[in-house]
Amino acid sequence: MNVNKLETRLQEGDGLLQAFFENSPNLIFVKDRQSRYLYANKQFKNAFHISGEIRGKTDDELFSAEQSAAFLAVDRQVLQTGLLMKFEDVVLYEDGVHTRIVQKFPLFNAEGEIYAIGGAVTDITDRKREESALRYSEENYRLVVETAPDAVISIDEGGAILFANPAAVRIFGYDPTELIGKPLTVLMPEFLRKLHEEGFSRYLATGQRHINWQGTELTALRKNGQEFPVEISFGELSRDGHKVFTGFIRDISERKQVEEMRAAHARQIAVRADVSMAFGKEESLKTILGECSEAIVRHLDAAFARIWTLNDDGTMLDLQASAGMYTHLDGSHSHIPMGQFKIGMIAQERKPHLTNDVLNDPRISDRAWAEKEGMASFAGYPLSVGDRTIGVLAMFSRKPVTPETTETLASGADLIAQGIERKHAEDRLRDSERSLRQLTETIPQMLWSAEVDGAIDYCNQRVLDYTGLSAEQVRGAGWMKSVHPDDIGKMEQAWKAAVSTGMPFQYEFRGRRAADNAYRWCISSALPLRNQEGRVIKWFGTVVDLHDWKEALQALQMTQTELARVSRVTTMGELAASIAHEVNQPLTAVTNNSSACLRLLAAGNLQAEVLRRALEEIVADGNRASAVVARIRGFIKKEPAEKNELDINEVIQEVLVLAGRELVENRVLIECQLTKALPLVLADRVQLQQVLLNLIMNGVEAMIAVKDQPRSLWVESRVDGSGDILVAVRDTGTGLSSEAHRVFTPFFTTKANGMGMGLSISRSLVENHGGRLWATPNSPNGAVFSFTLPVSSGSPA
Amino acid sequence: MTSDPIVFVVDDDASVRSSLKFLLSTVGLQVESFDSADTFLRKKPAGVPSCLVLDVRLPGLSGIDIQRELAARNIRIPIIFLTGHGDIPMSVRAMKAGAVEFLTKPVRDQDLLDAVRIALEQDRARREQEKEVTDLQLRFDSLTSREQQVISMLVSGMLNKQIAAELGTAESTVKVQRSRAMEKMQAQSLVDLARMIEKLKSPSQRAS
Repeated sequence: MNVNKLETRLQEGDGLLQAFFENSPNLIFVKDRQSRYLYANKQFKNAFHISGEIRGKTDDELFSAEQSAAFLAVDRQVLQTGLLMKFEDVVLYEDGVHTRIVQKFPLFNAEGEIYAIGGAVTDITDRKREESALRYSEENYRLVVETAPDAVISIDEGGAILFANPAAVRIFGYDPTELIGKPLTVLMPEFLRKLHEEGFSRYLATGQRHINWQGTELTALRKNGQEFPVEISFGELSRDGHKVFTGFIRDISERKQVEEMRAAHARQIAVRADVSMAFGKEESLKTILGECSEAIVRHLDAAFARIWTLNDDGTMLDLQASAGMYTHLDGSHSHIPMGQFKIGMIAQERKPHLTNDVLNDPRISDRAWAEKEGMASFAGYPLSVGDRTIGVLAMFSRKPVTPETTETLASGADLIAQGIERKHAEDRLRDSERSLRQLTETIPQMLWSAEVDGAIDYCNQRVLDYTGLSAEQVRGAGWMKSVHPDDIGKMEQAWKAAVSTGMPFQYEFRGRRAADNAYRWCISSALPLRNQEGRVIKWFGTVVDLHDWKEALQALQMTQTELARVSRVTTMGELAASIAHEVNQPLTAVTNNSSACLRLLAAGNLQAEVLRRALEEIVADGNRASAVVARIRGFIKKEPAEKNELDINEVIQEVLVLAGRELVENRVLIECQLTKALPLVLADRVQLQQVLLNLIMNGVEAMIAVKDQPRSLWVESRVDGSGDILVAVRDTGTGLSSEAHRVFTPFFTTKANGMGMGLSISRSLVENHGGRLWATPNSPNGAVFSFTLPVSSGSPA
Repeated sequence: MTSDPIVFVVDDDASVRSSLKFLLSTVGLQVESFDSADTFLRKKPAGVPSCLVLDVRLPGLSGIDIQRELAARNIRIPIIFLTGHGDIPMSVRAMKAGAVEFLTKPVRDQDLLDAVRIALEQDRARREQEKEVTDLQLRFDSLTSREQQVISMLVSGMLNKQIAAELGTAESTVKVQRSRAMEKMQAQSLVDLARMIEKLKSPSQRAS
């Protein structure tokens, strides 16, 4: 066959062939040896948008130079080798680049010569694209499956494992090939196997799913027997009429753990939040602790929770709150002695007690109860602040206590302990503030405070009552309204000075009392309150009404002056009485004798002898009276108070004479030990007499009670160690007893009719002379009163 | 009351004692003197009218103490106090306690003698009164109890008839008992009897 014949057959002849060619999806063409197209089918023409006759055309005419060269090169190869050339090429079509499989083959004639080149082109652009995608996808899947952290396992309808990825092997702990062919149930714990088998066969039979295929949490079994939580998703696909199920199994142990931790953390936060919130409320401690124990029960799944606080003396734990199955606060757990039972021991040891085996715990006393109620665990925590225990938090649970729970309890206990402590502190502070406020409002004392600038910002009710001003009126400088106009200026000045210098303030002024609208003497004092830097931040002051006190003081001073005077007068009066008696006795005798004589004379019955005896007596009594007068003359004459140089012994003698009658009447024996030629003292004679008389009379009176022994009074004068004159009056009376230190106190007296002024006045008289007066006990009984007087500077001694 | 009265003098001053004795002797009075309260109190009570001249200021017991002590012993001797100075509260106290006079030394002789005379007169009257009461008591005690009843009713103003009715006897019996009682009491009249009974009713007094 030659080209012509072929041409004819292609053009006209073989209709069947042409039908094939024209309807083939492939591009079919025939070229002659010169690579001129003899034929190209419709697909060819369509692909390259060739219209009209193609016969006789060359590739040069139809394609780009580059492509036509490539085509021709292949044609040449076919012609040279006489072999079929099959290759893929990439050609630019009108609609883009196409990948094609090109087959060019020689057409031989009868002589075995190549007379033409046939070509068939299959466009594989689409297939190529699909192939590429598929290959990528498979690769991808393989990669995903191989590297997936999750186990991927496929099973057949019989439940046997067809495939397991490396993760599956790793997760379940098998060798890579070990799993293939094994039933899936080896990866399940015993209790799931039956369930799985039933569900699986039900599905195969009915298509009814017994579990959710997407994300079901189940328990899986490792080769080593360990169970662990997994999340499973799976699907099915049919291959060759058989169903294959592929599951993705994720080990969620860690996630579970994390979730559990997160939940525990959330519980802890919830407990802490509830506890904090409870303590934030303005409620009683009992109520607050009640809420705390409720929070423990609610968040930690406790059967019940209780809180005890330690009492003030640290001996007893008092139940404050109980939540859960028991809410009563009375009964046997109401008060637990420190150190006793499990609660008391927790408090004493200051260590938590935890057990998940209450039935066998030696500290759980009531096991029968625990067993009946199904209690599994007990957790008790001491409530401690610093190194002090202030209570116990405890709970019973029907479930084991996890470490997270104990952590939450510990943290809750901490928070509750701090809360209790804070609450106590707050209560104390509130109480102290309240009592302070009550104090300032109820204290019978006028109190005020002022700002740094001296403006009054607070006065208590006493001030308001006193001044009659309102709290508003007294504020700032309003207080001055109640100050006497004559005092305002100076007082304000003094206050301003105190405010500017920060020195304590004190001022006496006349304040108006609203009750009687009278100005009364008051004293206001104030001290500054300073901050840590020493800066004045506030002033606190008082006002005291001194009026009555001042008047009383004046009255007292007057009374004392009066008393001193009266006492002197009394002493003088007694002296006068004594003198009168002394003088009256002889005068009486004189008078009587004279009167008797006159009577006898009048009756003419006066005998000379009688008269002589009477006259003798009269003379004697007259002399006696004059002696008395002479003795007391000094005392009387030197009455005006003035200091002269005196011989103390003279004064002692004078006083002893004055007191003589008292001494005799009371049978007191006087013993004098007077040192001769003592230096003189500069003193008021009368005052010294008063002092001495007082001491002597005291001694006499102290001895009146003494019946069983002689009443002796020693009077001694000498120069003492420091060169002063010392006079001592020593008695054997009742003594000073325990009240020795009080005898010099004004108005102190041991005498029924005494005023208690004698020794007090005597001491001040002695002290006015620069001396001292003191008392010491006498041995074996009685007292010694001694005084010293300085020697006169003009004294020769 | 036939015996001479005695003036007791208590003073610690010997010349005062002797001058008082001298003065009182000029009006014929018997004087017995003591130098202290103790010595006076140890003396047996005198059976004759007497009085006491007492110095207020004495060693040991004072004059006022003696007055109190005498009263406690129910010895009713009139007292004249002598004092060295006019102590008004003390004199008031003494007078209230029954002193006859409170005189200041040196005393005017006439004042003292007057006081002593009054005191002795008081004591004499008291002694006579006490004597009379004692006699009356003796007479009254000699009556039968029915006679005592009858005269008690008589002096209370009841008539014979009433007394008889009260005692459940005849009026004639009352008349007999009445005249016998009046006779025993040595009463001159009913008025006399009434005075006697009145005296007996005043608290019985012991002679000193």
